[in-house]
Amino acid sequence: MKDEKLMEAAERLSKEIRPERDLWPEIAATINAPAAKRWSPLFAQAAAVVLLVGASSAVTYMTMKDSMSPTVVASTDMIFEQASFGNRYYLGPGFQDARNTLVADLEIELERLSPETRADIQKNRVLIHDAIAEINLALEKEPENMLLQERLLNTYREELALLRRVSSLTRNVMLRNDI
Amino acid sequence: MMKTLLNTILISLLATTAFAEDVNRTVDAAKDGHVEVSNISGEITIEGWNQSKVEVTGTIGRDVKELIVERDGDEVLIKVKLPNRSSSASDADLRIKIPAGSSINVGTVSADIDVSDVNGEQSLHTVSGNVTTESRGEDVSAESVSGDVEVSGDNSDSEVEANTVSGDVMIRRVSGEVVGESVSGSVEVEGGSFDRADLNTVNGEVNFEGELRNDGRLSIETVNGSVDVEFVGAVSAKINIETFNGGIRNCFGPKAERTSKYAPGWELDFTEGDGEGRVDISTMNGRVTVCKK
Repeated sequence: MKDEKLMEAAERLSKEIRPERDLWPEIAATINAPAAKRWSPLFAQAAAVVLLVGASSAVTYMTMKDSMSPTVVASTDMIFEQASFGNRYYLGPGFQDARNTLVADLEIELERLSPETRADIQKNRVLIHDAIAEINLALEKEPENMLLQERLLNTYREELALLRRVSSLTRNVMLRNDI
Repeated sequence: MMKTLLNTILISLLATTAFAEDVNRTVDAAKDGHVEVSNISGEITIEGWNQSKVEVTGTIGRDVKELIVERDGDEVLIKVKLPNRSSSASDADLRIKIPAGSSINVGTVSADIDVSDVNGEQSLHTVSGNVTTESRGEDVSAESVSGDVEVSGDNSDSEVEANTVSGDVMIRRVSGEVVGESVSGSVEVEGGSFDRADLNTVNGEVNFEGELRNDGRLSIETVNGSVDVEFVGAVSAKINIETFNGGIRNCFGPKAERTSKYAPGWELDFTEGDGEGRVDISTMNGRVTVCKK
């Protein structure tokens, strides 16, 4: 029920709101720029998310590349069509790709866990997605609200942290227990 | 009917006891060595003692293939080995005594972890168990996915990280630097004096009661959750509080202002004392209270 509500909300966002520009290239350019210019809190947060995604993906890839199953399909019901950022900005395909990688990694690890633990993790992912949807809806009304922008980016970061943490913890615990 | 039920319970208990095997193993160990513990399910209780030995007692289930207790130099490995996938008879309830100066690394799937009187560094990880431990001046990293994480200390400085996804985090009488995170549970810090405290939830309350040192930094973030901060002792910090939908109660004097005439949010920015430290509190939906004891 929650999923449906969430997906409806996400669908509504992507249909009704046309993002003005993709933040990703700017963020990437900012990260690659040799001289550090003064970042606004918004871009600092965004860059933190991107760095986190990049680092997590790299670590996950390095760790899993030898043991990963050949084909892994992440369940699509948990993935937003678009990482929207109010109605003015969005985190583009680079962000989404990185998140998909983490989600795929998590799907592998979830298979090893009990149904109760899996359900618990999924429940918390839905909860984070609910929060993201809620903040996005609020941002529709107040696109310039810095608190909402920061909360949104931090909640995306929280989602990535959950994906990374659960995968890493489960993998490490299972490996050391020979499972 | 009642008699049948009691008989059934008795038989079940006897059967469980019959399936469990008592264990009692001891190996010599370094005074300040390292102990690695791996277990799938059951319970792990670790206690520090003043002997240069590691003692493992308790019970292991019928399906446990092997209990490994071996020393390799300064390291002792304790591992519950299972043949295949775990079953209901694969629980291992172990009580492990280790030299108090040891560092430990414990990994379990669904076993609770309980640590006391250990002075070395601790790294404790479980997927669906609870973690309870003490911080005694060395760093502690404790994490669970669906269990609670509780760290209590003796007020000596250390770096403590306590993370869970759906459980609660409780940190008591710990000082120095703390990180407490939960997605849907609450995060509570009680006692202690801090250079840095980072406390985050998505849907959960955050409660902080402690001292913020000069140049200290307290950062609290939540999406849907209330925040209660009670400072112990004098505060010298720039304090910034912001909500999108929720009131702010400030015992330090300055009043919060509405973020907009039409929005339910509040913000408060002020300096207490010399403003050496920094306090940032932000929530989307929830009230914030900041007071002093």
